Amino acid sequence: MWSVGALDSITITTPSPSSNRFRALAKPPTCSLHVHYPSRPLRALPTFTLSNQSSSFRPKRALSFRCSAALTPELKSTLDKVVTSHKVVLFMKGTKDFPQCGFSNTVVQILRSLNVPFETINILENEFLRQGLKEYSSWPTFPQLYVEGEFFGGCDITVDAYKSGELQEVLEKAMCS
Amino acid sequence: MGVTKEQVEASLTSKLNPSHLEVVDTSGGCGASFVIEIVSEQFEGKRLLERHRVVNSALEEEMKEIHALSIKKALTPEQWKQQQEAEKSKPAA
Repeated sequence: MWSVGALDSITITTPSPSSNRFRALAKPPTCSLHVHYPSRPLRALPTFTLSNQSSSFRPKRALSFRCSAALTPELKSTLDKVVTSHKVVLFMKGTKDFPQCGFSNTVVQILRSLNVPFETINILENEFLRQGLKEYSSWPTFPQLYVEGEFFGGCDITVDAYKSGELQEVLEKAMCS
Repeated sequence: MGVTKEQVEASLTSKLNPSHLEVVDTSGGCGASFVIEIVSEQFEGKRLLERHRVVNSALEEEMKEIHALSIKKALTPEQWKQQQEAEKSKPAA
């Protein structure tokens, strides 16, 4: 674990352009650090780990390589509890009664129309939670719908599943269990 | 600066080798919102959620600046063919 300041000490050496090995790479190895610096100051600064420090930097792997910036073990276990605390949990922008994003609103309206009890959590109120959740769900955007502790999808997937009737099935099953 | 339609297309083309790809910039110029239709063999055997994850991770770099990414279609070439044929036969019916 490094603190943010430790980043300065990381140097990336690029082989000389004439090197054949360099040419063979699709693109030069870059360190893709996924640290989302919030625009607002945070109380707790995110820490991240660099797990791929070996010299065998494979570009293909590097693309999906992601540093945990905000998902601390504490946050992870909290989220484990939150997503299982209710059968349907929606992480959204704004609240059930005052959605602050069209996509979040769409999912709220769908859940309302199906008469399902659901809990919403406003991720705009907590930047730390917002960043952590992206990693927790491996999903980059909001809203995020959880059914019985499992990530169901974002807005597009929920709309699709609603149209096909799959969402109704999943929710019915959840309500009966 | 936001992401351009061309950047999104280039990333998706190089990583998912799509047989059909349509990217529409719906941001009104700021480059933070896109609608995507994509057909790729890599979706074979994957549920919709997994397909979206594939697209999201292909656009990992771009997603840092994209606010909204709407994946309207993520189909396999086979599904795409079926849809095209269904659409073609509609006006005739």
